[in-house]
This record gives sequence, structure tokens and C-alpha cells, in this order.
Amino acid sequence: MKTVAVIFGGRSAEHDVSIVTALSSIIKPLELTKQYRVIAVYITKDGRWFTGEKLKDIHLYQSSKLEEYLAQTKSTGVVFDHGLKLLVPTRVGRKEVAIDIVFPAMHGTYGEDGALMGLLDMAGVAYVGCGVAASAIAMDKVLAKQLAVANGIPVSMFLSFQKADITDDTVGVVTQITAKLKYPIFVKPAHLGSSIGITRVQNDTELTNALEVAAYYDNLIIVEEAVQNLIEVTLPIMGLANNPQPALLEKPLTAAEDFFDFDTKYLQGGKKGGGKKGGTTGSQGYSQIPAKLPKDIYAQAGHVGLAVYTAFGCSGTARVDMLIDSKAGKVYFNEMNPLPGSLYAHNWAQAGVSKVALVEKLIEYALVRYAERQKLATTFDTNFLKQF
Amino acid sequence: MQVIVQDLLTSYSRVGKGKQVLILHGWGDSSASWKAVAKKLAGQHEVILVDLPGFGETQMPSIAWDLTDYANFIQAFLRKIGAKPYAIVGHSNGGAIAIRGVGQGILQAEKLVLLASAGVRGTSSQKGLYLISKVGKVMASPLPKRMQARLRRGLYHKAGLDLLVAEHMQETFKRIVRDDVRADAAYISAPTLLVYGEHDEETPVALGRQLHDAIEGSVFQEIPAVGHFLYRDAEKQVVQLAKEFLSA
Repeated sequence: MKTVAVIFGGRSAEHDVSIVTALSSIIKPLELTKQYRVIAVYITKDGRWFTGEKLKDIHLYQSSKLEEYLAQTKSTGVVFDHGLKLLVPTRVGRKEVAIDIVFPAMHGTYGEDGALMGLLDMAGVAYVGCGVAASAIAMDKVLAKQLAVANGIPVSMFLSFQKADITDDTVGVVTQITAKLKYPIFVKPAHLGSSIGITRVQNDTELTNALEVAAYYDNLIIVEEAVQNLIEVTLPIMGLANNPQPALLEKPLTAAEDFFDFDTKYLQGGKKGGGKKGGTTGSQGYSQIPAKLPKDIYAQAGHVGLAVYTAFGCSGTARVDMLIDSKAGKVYFNEMNPLPGSLYAHNWAQAGVSKVALVEKLIEYALVRYAERQKLATTFDTNFLKQF
Repeated sequence: MQVIVQDLLTSYSRVGKGKQVLILHGWGDSSASWKAVAKKLAGQHEVILVDLPGFGETQMPSIAWDLTDYANFIQAFLRKIGAKPYAIVGHSNGGAIAIRGVGQGILQAEKLVLLASAGVRGTSSQKGLYLISKVGKVMASPLPKRMQARLRRGLYHKAGLDLLVAEHMQETFKRIVRDDVRADAAYISAPTLLVYGEHDEETPVALGRQLHDAIEGSVFQEIPAVGHFLYRDAEKQVVQLAKEFLSA
């Protein structure tokens, strides 16, 4: 029986979302297969690692018992020794537990941004999902757009600025922006997820204030022209980079002038305005699956999604967010999410892939990628040192 | 939307079109509770809702503030977003901030609506302060943490729910409950509507009457059978009164 470590929580604004992803969409289905020994690895908001059966129970996180539990529990250590081993506390000390596969369930910083993937690559262990590069690029909105442009994938007009540009000469930055982009404009911190620090602005005063807010959160700021006649869609995809399989194109049911803020997306369970009829409740709230769109636009969005998945070198799973100008019939890439909340299991279920089948497939891809990676030469013997 | 005001990340929203109305929420409350009222006023006004520092999604001030600090913050906030409200609606502590701001000329408004406004300090807050000092002693005691928490909450209940709903703002609370606005109220010349709930225990009708006496030409309304949260419990009446007063 293979041992799977599901790592969740972490030093991220999306800490709590990660707990839900891990418990409901990964640990439970994995245990239902009865083929894996599943270890819950919970990372606290201050970065300590813990393991234990109790960490698989959502009630622990919903009550004030978590702090009490953590205070009574020894933290877990990590050892790199022919793969990844966890030092799990016992009554008398710590025992080593070898991990065959890691299933990251982290969202946002230090988890979804490639940081955890780097650690797992260093350890030399198989893991589910995108690698370091795809994850890191996806978490940088500027790099992501530049990569898309380099691959001929359409994006909305954008500019980027360093925090220092804004603090030194805000008026100059506003002039540069308004010379190239038309209102309404979105101002975003380049590295944050979950709509944190994002503002939609209509005039110079709002733009100035929004730049200041974005610079409060990040050193790099992206400014984008809003897509007109907007329809937002998202496409979950899985598979290896050379053979991606799309789920169904999904349309979040929010007003066109609105966009998901953190509160709507997570705290209210996505039910802005109480939801609308004909939608499906997923991890991101009410959605239309599949999105009701003209056939050619649906197909175009599918092509853009898959092109992004390949261009980024994604592996395992990812979700590609796109913006459609419904009048112009044009699809733009917006963002790529290397670890979608709850794995977008609700969408996969409608596409005919159950929660259990989804985690099994993702583990399969992880093992294939790991085996391929093992075949690559990364070290070789030389007489370099003898000559030195 | 967010904006940086006095180095604090400040959350606010604007809804509707027309003469601007600024709503200042009460202690422990946030602008989110005011969305229903704002929507109803939005037909005639542009309503500006802001989370006051330490509440809702606005950051907490790094030092304890008094009512003047809050009024100065609102002045800076309005300048930042380029707004000049025609009227200010303040509930409870938001009312006290409005009185301090307008009375001292920090804020400008052509009309003022004070709903269950606080600001008249009496013996009850002194009792609160005594209990808060007890809380400090509990925290410093050698009792187990869980027991400390239970005792602390018990004392908070006695001191009043206002502190219980915002434990993190304890020092600011101490300053605010000492800060009386009766002298400021006497300087208000803008037409003012005062509305109080018959069963309000936090800011009783008698307290409202004192403000009514202090603000020349003010109009006083009592809503029967409601308490402190009259904007929620008697939403229809409050909206109706505010609409009529603001459009007169």
C-alpha cells in the first residue's frame, strides 16, 4: 500500500480554503479507494508542520479546539533521505515514515506558488500537480501574461509597474496608464490570489488610490484594461502537458460589472446575491456548467485553455480563467490556477469524473511524471575534481 | 473597494446616484450591516459606506483613538476619495463621531441624522471602566488560560456588549467611553434629526433628549418597541424618516 501525504493549510491568505480542499476533495476520496495510506500534513499559519488522524476532521478547524490540539501535539519533521520522510511524533520520540507520493492541497503563497514544489523536487519525491515553473509563473500575473503573449495567446491590454515607480511618481504612472489604456481598468497586485487588493477603477482619482492599495500588498503591480461585454469562464484541465484533457467550460453566475472578491469567493461560499436559478453550487459558488455559449466561442475558449496548459508546462491539473468579449466574440486568457480550490471536483463530476476517479487519475499522472523525471540525467561522473 | 487613509487599509463602498450621504456605523458594527439601508437610500442619493478603523475590513489603528481621531480619519478619507457628503448618518458611536466632527468643524454636512447616537457619558460608562480594569487583573492572574477567558468574558458581559464585540479595541474603547460630545453638539448648526428606540438600553431615549436639547433646532423622533439597533429592527421607519428629512 502506497503512502500519500496530503499537505494543506500553510502561510497563505487561502489557508482555510486549503483545509476544505484537502479534507473534502482529496483525503476522503483517497481513503475511499482503500488503496492508499493517507497522512494528513497540516501546516499552521506560522509554518509549523503537524500530522495526525484528528487533522482529518473538519470539526477540529471549526471550533477553538485546534489551538488546544496543536499545543498538546509535537510538530512533525521532514527528512530528505532517498525521497521524503516525515518524522512523526510518537509517545517516546519520533518515527520515520517514508512518503511515496505527496498530494499538495495548498493555495496561494508558500504552497501553490512553486515553493512547496521546489522542496518536493529537492526531496526527490513524486507529487501531484504542476511543477515549480508552472506554479511560479501562474502566481505572477505579469509573467503569466508575458508567457501567454509569447505563445500567441490573446490577453487584454496591460501594463506593469514596480512599487517604487508608484511611490516615486504616482502622477507619472497614472499619465502612462491613461495614455495607453481606457477605463474601466483593473489594478491588481501581481502575486496575490483570491481577488485580494484588486480594484476596478473608472477615473484618475480611483486609479491613484487603487495603485496605492495594490502597492501596499505587492512590489509588482499589473494594470489591465477591462474586457467589454464581459463573460467570465473557467476551464479545469487535467493530464500531462502533452495530453491535457479538459473538463467542462464553467461560467460563474455573477453580474457582468461585478467580479468575485475574496468575501464572495470564499467567506460567503460564492453566493453573492443569493445565487441564481439554474446554477450549480461548486467550490466557487453558483456556476453554469457547461457554460451556455455559442458553439464557436465555446470551442475557442477550449483551445485557449489547452494552449495555456501546454504553454505553461502544466502537469496533473490546473484551471484556466478566461474573459470573453461577447460582442466581439473574442476570448482572452486571464489567469492560470495551478491548484484549483477543491480540485474543481464539482465540474469534473459533471464531466463524468467522480471525486475518487479524479484523485486516482491525479496520482497516476504524478507517478508517470516522476518516473519520466527519474530517467533524466541530472548528475554524471567527471574527472573535473581530479584535475583541480 | 479599498483605499489607504492615514496608513490604514480602509474598506468602503459607494452605491447610488445623487447628493452624497455618508453612513458611519456603530461600535463593533461594520458597513456590511448597512447594505440594506444604503440600497433603499440609493434611489435618491449616492451612499458612501465605510468600515471605521478596527472594524469590518479596515485595519486597526496602531494606538488607541478617541472621537477626534476618528473624525480626522473621516475627513482624510473623504478627501482621498474626492467626496463631499451633503449629509452624514451616524449610528451609536458613529453618531458620536459625527457630532464631534461637525461640531468642531472637522467635517462638513448640510444635514445630520443621528440614530441612537452615543456621546453622552454618564455613570454607566464609569462602571464599564471599573470592570475593564478588572479584566486586566484577570489577564495578569496565574489562573489557567481557559479559566481566564471565561472570567474575562463574564466581566465583559457586565461591562456591556460593546466591548465584548471588539475585544481587540479595548484601549480605544476606554478612551471613547470617556469622550463626551455634549459641548460639540452645541456648535452644530446643520438641521439635525435624532431618532431613538423606546427600548434602547445602550443609548436610552433620555440620553438622546440631552443631545436634542444641545443641538439647536434639532428634530427628535422616538420609535416605539425597538432597541439600539433600530436601523435593523425598524428599517422601514428609519429609512422613511431619513428619506423625508434628507429631501426636505
